[in-house]
Amino acid sequence: MSDSASTSPLRRSVRQTRDRMVTALITAGGIGVIVAVMGIGIFLAVEVLPLFWSSDIEMASLWQAQSYQGLESPAHRWQPALLEGDGEPRFGMLPLVWGTLEAAAWSLVMAVPLALGAAAHSALFMSPRLRDRLRPTLELMEAMPGVVIGFIAGLVLAPWLDDHLAFGVVLVLLLPPGLLLAGGLLRRRLPMGWAALWLMPWLLVLWWVASWLAPWLEAWWFNGSLRTWLEVHLGLEYANRNAIIVGMAMGFAVMPSIYALAEDALSGVPANLVEGAEALGATRWQTLWRVVLPAAAPGVFSAVMIGAGRAVGETMIVLMASGNTALMTTNPLDGLRSMAASIAIELPEAAPGGTHYRLLLLAALLLFAFTFLVNTLAEVVRSRLRRRYRRLEGAP
Amino acid sequence: MREQASTPGDALATQEGRPAVASRRGRSPRGEGPWAWLAAGSVATSLALLALLLGLLAVRGLGHFWPADVALVTLDDGRQLAGRAVKEAPLPDQEGRERLYRVGNRDLDGDIWEWVALERIQGIARPADLVVLERRRWGEFMGRLVAIESASGERLVGDAAWPALKERLAVLEDARQQIARLRQETLPPLVRRVEGGQASPEERAALASAQAQLAARQAALPGDTLVLKSVGGRSLRQPLTEVVRALQPNDMGPVEKLVSWGQGVWRFLSEGPRAANSAGGVWPAIFGTVLMVVLMSIFVMPFGVLAAVYLNEVAHQGRLIRWVRIGVRNLAGVPSIVYGVFGLGVFVYGIGGRLDTWFFEASLPSPTFGTGGLLWASLTLALLTLPVVIVATEEGLARIPASQREGALALGATRAEMLGRVVLPMTLPAMLTGVILAVARAAGEVAPLMLVGVAKLAPQVPVDGEFPYLHLERKFMHLGHHIFDSAFHGSDVQATLPLIYATALLLVVVILVLNLTAIFLRHYLRGRHGTRPTY
Repeated sequence: MSDSASTSPLRRSVRQTRDRMVTALITAGGIGVIVAVMGIGIFLAVEVLPLFWSSDIEMASLWQAQSYQGLESPAHRWQPALLEGDGEPRFGMLPLVWGTLEAAAWSLVMAVPLALGAAAHSALFMSPRLRDRLRPTLELMEAMPGVVIGFIAGLVLAPWLDDHLAFGVVLVLLLPPGLLLAGGLLRRRLPMGWAALWLMPWLLVLWWVASWLAPWLEAWWFNGSLRTWLEVHLGLEYANRNAIIVGMAMGFAVMPSIYALAEDALSGVPANLVEGAEALGATRWQTLWRVVLPAAAPGVFSAVMIGAGRAVGETMIVLMASGNTALMTTNPLDGLRSMAASIAIELPEAAPGGTHYRLLLLAALLLFAFTFLVNTLAEVVRSRLRRRYRRLEGAP
Repeated sequence: MREQASTPGDALATQEGRPAVASRRGRSPRGEGPWAWLAAGSVATSLALLALLLGLLAVRGLGHFWPADVALVTLDDGRQLAGRAVKEAPLPDQEGRERLYRVGNRDLDGDIWEWVALERIQGIARPADLVVLERRRWGEFMGRLVAIESASGERLVGDAAWPALKERLAVLEDARQQIARLRQETLPPLVRRVEGGQASPEERAALASAQAQLAARQAALPGDTLVLKSVGGRSLRQPLTEVVRALQPNDMGPVEKLVSWGQGVWRFLSEGPRAANSAGGVWPAIFGTVLMVVLMSIFVMPFGVLAAVYLNEVAHQGRLIRWVRIGVRNLAGVPSIVYGVFGLGVFVYGIGGRLDTWFFEASLPSPTFGTGGLLWASLTLALLTLPVVIVATEEGLARIPASQREGALALGATRAEMLGRVVLPMTLPAMLTGVILAVARAAGEVAPLMLVGVAKLAPQVPVDGEFPYLHLERKFMHLGHHIFDSAFHGSDVQATLPLIYATALLLVVVILVLNLTAIFLRHYLRGRHGTRPTY
C-alpha cells in the first residue's frame, strides 16, 4: 500500500468494493456451510415424517409387543427380512433401542471409574511433568480407530475370554485389592506422583498371580468350570460375543474423552479453594472429595454425558464385538444389536423410500437427536461451570 | 492399608505427629487413604491397556512377515508333520496340553491346522531342506522339493533343484510384472474405446497387437512343474506359475531372514489382495484411503475456514451466533453413522440419482453416480470433519490479539485486507492442525463409508491413464473397511488373522503419526502466542 494508491479515489473505491464482495462471500459461504451441516437433522426429520401417515405401519406398533405367527405370546422382534417365505417383516424398534442402551451402559460401567480415577489422580496427585505427557498419550488413545478396537475385541478378546473366563474374572476382582496392597507396601519408597508408572510392573505381577490363582479357584468354587456354574446356578448363558465384551471395548474407546473433560473440570477449580483446604489440614484426597469434586461436579457430569453420547453412536465396535443378535435380555453375557450397527448393516440393502428404509432413518434421527441434546446440555453445563469458577476466583 | 484420616479431626491428629515442615510436593503421601491408590491404579491400568493393545498390534502385525523356522515334528506313532507352532492350550478333557501347528497344504489335507498333544511328540527337528512355498491357490505348502521338471522334459533332482527354482522364480516374476502392466494399463482403455464404437483403425490395430503381445507373453511363461513331497509322504505336482514365493526358512541366517522380512513388508504394502482378501497385500486399500482423504481435505479446508472466519470475524457476536457455535461444536459429537445416512440419502440417492437421469441416461438401469462412490464418500467425510476444522480454526482466530487487527485497520486496511494479510497468515498453523486432525479422524472412519461407496474389492483404482484420469464415480478400497471385511467375511479367520493385524497396525501407525503431528503443531502454537486456547 503506497501513499499514492491509498489516496487515489478510484483505487479506494475498488478496494472498498472488493472488501464488500469478500465480506459478502464470507457471509454467504459461512451461512451456507452452517446451514448444510445443520441440514442433517432437517433431512432426517423430513424423510421420517411420511411414516406417521403411512398405511404400512402404525407408529405405536413399533414400541409395543406384537403377536406374531409362530409365537405364543406377544413379543418385541426386529426381523426386517424374514427368510422363511410367507412371514411378514417384523419391525419392533425396542430391541434395537435396548441393545444400544445396554451397550452404552456397560461401556460407561467400564469407562467411568477408570476415567474419573485417572482424572482425579492426574488433577491432584500426579507430578506435573508426567501429567504433561499423559494428556497427549490419552489423546492418542482417543484417536484409535473404532474398527481396530472392534477387531481386537471381536476376534482376539472374545475368543480369549471364551477360553480364560475365570482368569479374566479373577484378574478384575484382584485389581482393586492388589493396587491397595501396592500402595500400602511401597508408598514410603516410591513417590505418589509417579505412581501411574511404577504401578505398571505391579500390574504384571497381579496378572501372574491371577493366572496362578484362576485354575485353582475355578476347581474349588465352581466345580471346574465357571461357565457351567454360571449357566446352572445363575441361568446366564455365555455367548461368545456379548455385552460385556462390547462394554470393555467401548469403555476403552470412550474413556479418554471422559478423562479429558473431567480432568479439565477438576484442574480448573480455582487454586485458592484447594490451597485453603490444604492449609486447614485436609489431605489431598479429602480436598478432592470435599472441595474440588463438589465444585467441579457439573463438569464431571457433563464429561460422563459426552461419553454416553459417544457410546450410543459408536458403530464399528458394536458391529464387530456384539454378535448383532436383536435380543432383549438383561443377561450381560448375551449378544445385542444396536441401532447404529443395524443402520450400517441393513441400510445399503433397504429399498429407498420403503418402510424399512424409513425406520432405519428413524433410528438415525433418534441417534442424532439424543447425541445432539446430550452434547448441548453438557456444553451449557460446562459454560455455567466456567462462569462459576470465574466468580470463585473473585473476578468481576 | 491403614484406614486413617477419614475425618478432618483424624487428619489433624496425624499432621501433628509429623514434622511440621513439609513442602507441598515433597511431603509423603501418608494418610491419603485407599481411594487415592485406586485412582493412581486407574491411570496405570489405562496406560497398561493402551500399551497392551499397541504391543499386540506391533508384535503380531510385524511378526507375520518374519520367516520363522519350520519344525519337523515326529509323533509317537512315527507320523511326521512340518509346521509352525501357533499356540498351546490345555487338552479338553484330560491332563496335559496340546499345541496348534499351522501346517499349510490345504490341497493335500483339506485343512491348514493341526492340533498335537504335547505328550505324543517324540522329537522336533529343523532340517534345512524344508521349503515353504507361497502359492496363488491353496495357500502355502510346507514340505520338501523333490525335483523340478521343465516343459522340455529336463529334470533336476536333489541339490540342483532348489537353486534352479530360485532362478526360475525370478524370471517368472519379471514376466508377471510385464503381463500385469499390459493388462492393467495398456488394454482397458483400448477395449473401452473399441466397445464404445469410437475407435480409430490405429487403435484397433494397437488393441490387436497388445492382445497378441499378452498372449505371447503368457505362452512364454516358464512351464516348469515342481515335484513336491509333504513330510507325511504325499506327493504333489505343482505348476511353477502358481508359486509366488519360495523360502527355506531353516537354512536362512538372521541377516537373510531380515532381508526376507523386509521383502515381505514391502510386498504387503505394494501388492494387491489375493484369495478374497485373505492373502496378499493392501496397496489398493492404501491408495483408496489416501485418495479419499486428500479429496476430503480439498473439500473441507476452504469451507471450514470460511465458516470459522464468518463465525469469528464477520458475524455479529450475539446470542444467535453463540447458539450456532455450540451447535457446530456439538455436531462433532454426532455419531458418524448418521453422517453416512445423510450421505446415502442426499448425495447418493438424491443428487446422484438426479445426475444419472440428466447426464448418464444411456446406461441408466445401472447407476453411475446414483451409487456409492469416491466423490460421495469424500463429501460425506468432509461434512463429518467440518466441525473439527471449524473449531480448530476458530481457536486459532480467537488467539490472535485484538491489537493486531486494530493495528491493521488503523493503518487504513479494509476488513478484507486485514483478514487476508494479517489474520489468516497468523492462523495458518491452526488451520493446518484442524486439517490434520480432520484427516486423522477421516482415515479411521469406516461406518459411514459402508453406506456411501467403499468396496470389498475394487478391481480398478479410481486413477488411471484414461480421460478424465480421476474417476470420481468409482468405488474404492479402504484400509479400515479391509480390516472389517477380512475379519468378518473371510472363510478361515484364523488363517487371515496375521494379515488383519498387519493392516490394523498400518492404519494405527498412520493415524498416530497424523495425531502426533497435530499435537506438536498445537504445542508449538501455544508456545508462540504464549496463551492457552480459550475453549
